[in-house]
Amino acid sequence: MKKSILLITLVLILSLPLSVTALAQVQARIRIIQASNTGTTVDESLRDVYRELGSLFNFTSYRLMKDLDLNLVGNKPQTVPLHGNRSLEVTLVGEYKKMAELRLRIFRGGTTVLNTQVRLAPGRTVIVGGPKHGDGVAIFAISAGF
Amino acid sequence: MNQEEAELISRCQKGDQEALKEIFDRYREKVYRIAYGVVRHREDALDIVQEVFVKLYRSIGNYRGQSSFYTYVYRMAMNTAIDFTRRRKKFTASSLDEEGAFQPPDVPEKRPEAILIDKELEEKVNGAMAKLPEDQRAAVIYREVEGLSYQEMAQTMGCSIGTVMSRLHYGRKRLQKLLKGYMKEGGRA
Amino acid sequence: MKDSCSRPLKLLGKYLDGEATDQEKELVGNHLRECQACQAELNSMKELRTLIATPVEEAARQEDFPWVWQKIERQIRAQEKPSWLQSLRERLSLSPFLRRRVWVPALAVALLVVAAAPFLLKITSSPAAASVVVYVESQTNNVMVYESETGPETAVVIWLFEEPGDESSPT
Repeated sequence: MKKSILLITLVLILSLPLSVTALAQVQARIRIIQASNTGTTVDESLRDVYRELGSLFNFTSYRLMKDLDLNLVGNKPQTVPLHGNRSLEVTLVGEYKKMAELRLRIFRGGTTVLNTQVRLAPGRTVIVGGPKHGDGVAIFAISAGF
Repeated sequence: MNQEEAELISRCQKGDQEALKEIFDRYREKVYRIAYGVVRHREDALDIVQEVFVKLYRSIGNYRGQSSFYTYVYRMAMNTAIDFTRRRKKFTASSLDEEGAFQPPDVPEKRPEAILIDKELEEKVNGAMAKLPEDQRAAVIYREVEGLSYQEMAQTMGCSIGTVMSRLHYGRKRLQKLLKGYMKEGGRA
Repeated sequence: MKDSCSRPLKLLGKYLDGEATDQEKELVGNHLRECQACQAELNSMKELRTLIATPVEEAARQEDFPWVWQKIERQIRAQEKPSWLQSLRERLSLSPFLRRRVWVPALAVALLVVAAAPFLLKITSSPAAASVVVYVESQTNNVMVYESETGPETAVVIWLFEEPGDESSPT
């Protein structure tokens, strides 16, 4: 009896919309891509963002370097090490009109080279790019799921 | 199979990913060669390599040493590569001209003419290989790419040496016919 | 085709593959010395082997398998993660599908609640909003933000311009 009441209560809670429970946690997907004009390789795993990349940039080659899932909890930064003494820090700073607000910072050594805050609707991707990587550049495709 | 490999397999069967990494380091090139032999495309071959080792990790508990380990790996690599081509056929057949279909950029490459001709021949070879029945293609790849003996091929393909020879013979004949006119040596039909 | 070529031709594959017996090798070897047609056939088979194998060997030699192991690890990790239902079951020590008297009414209540929720809580769906840049700053480099229409939603790109001296070799 006790367990059936517990189960029903749990089902009731889970059926409530997310905005009532607040955006305490967000899954962020970070894809680190090397874009260059060497060759014409486009990684199959970048199929879903290729159209976007292709319309925005004139690179001929896109290779997926890393594909990470971060579990972001409010105001707790998570850092992804990058090439060349760089790192990318991602923090869930809040929620705004059903969008997750993320702060993104790129560090080179101890210096902040980029500091930005973006709002992402579920499943949407923001692209941050420019740091040199080998014979091309690094592009970070960041999307949020919640 | 030597003692060292037996221990590696045993550790992997218990879920030791370090052991899987060692197996990966030992066999990745062999698996890649099989995969590349089938699909003739670098990124696809790398995807197949990934798929093979994930499958291996999941299924290694079923390996009881009835065949040699490399036979087990080769068979898995070949089956995975062929499954990949079957799946790819379905994808391209249904979506080749649809909006949103993934198409790599069409960037013309500047190459010396001599290399262009070789590239054309390579594409003909790739096309001819794709036309072979799967069992003949597997036989040709095991023999011509991996250099397996007939005995090893029979174990890997699960058939008799006579069947191996037959598949190899008909596979080669078919390729010679498909590539007639592109090869220097005429050969017999 | 000469009758004398019949048997050597049948053995040519075995001869090429190093699988012929000593007797067979001798038969084929002797025949090849006298028959240009069969020699041409052997050369054709050798050429075919080169055409098939060379691109594969080249590709394998140049391959450094970037990130393949990391992708394998990631895929294994993703597959080993227990589903949320499994975790929930473990935590509550429930086997709802074994207790029909519990899950049938529970499911009915759940369905009722889900159907009524929009009316009870006055939820209105809002259209999916594109990403929005709140702010961008860099004290060391030029930064540009631009947007592109790539379909129904706008894509946003934040681009950091690095000077040649900022380059570092990849790890």
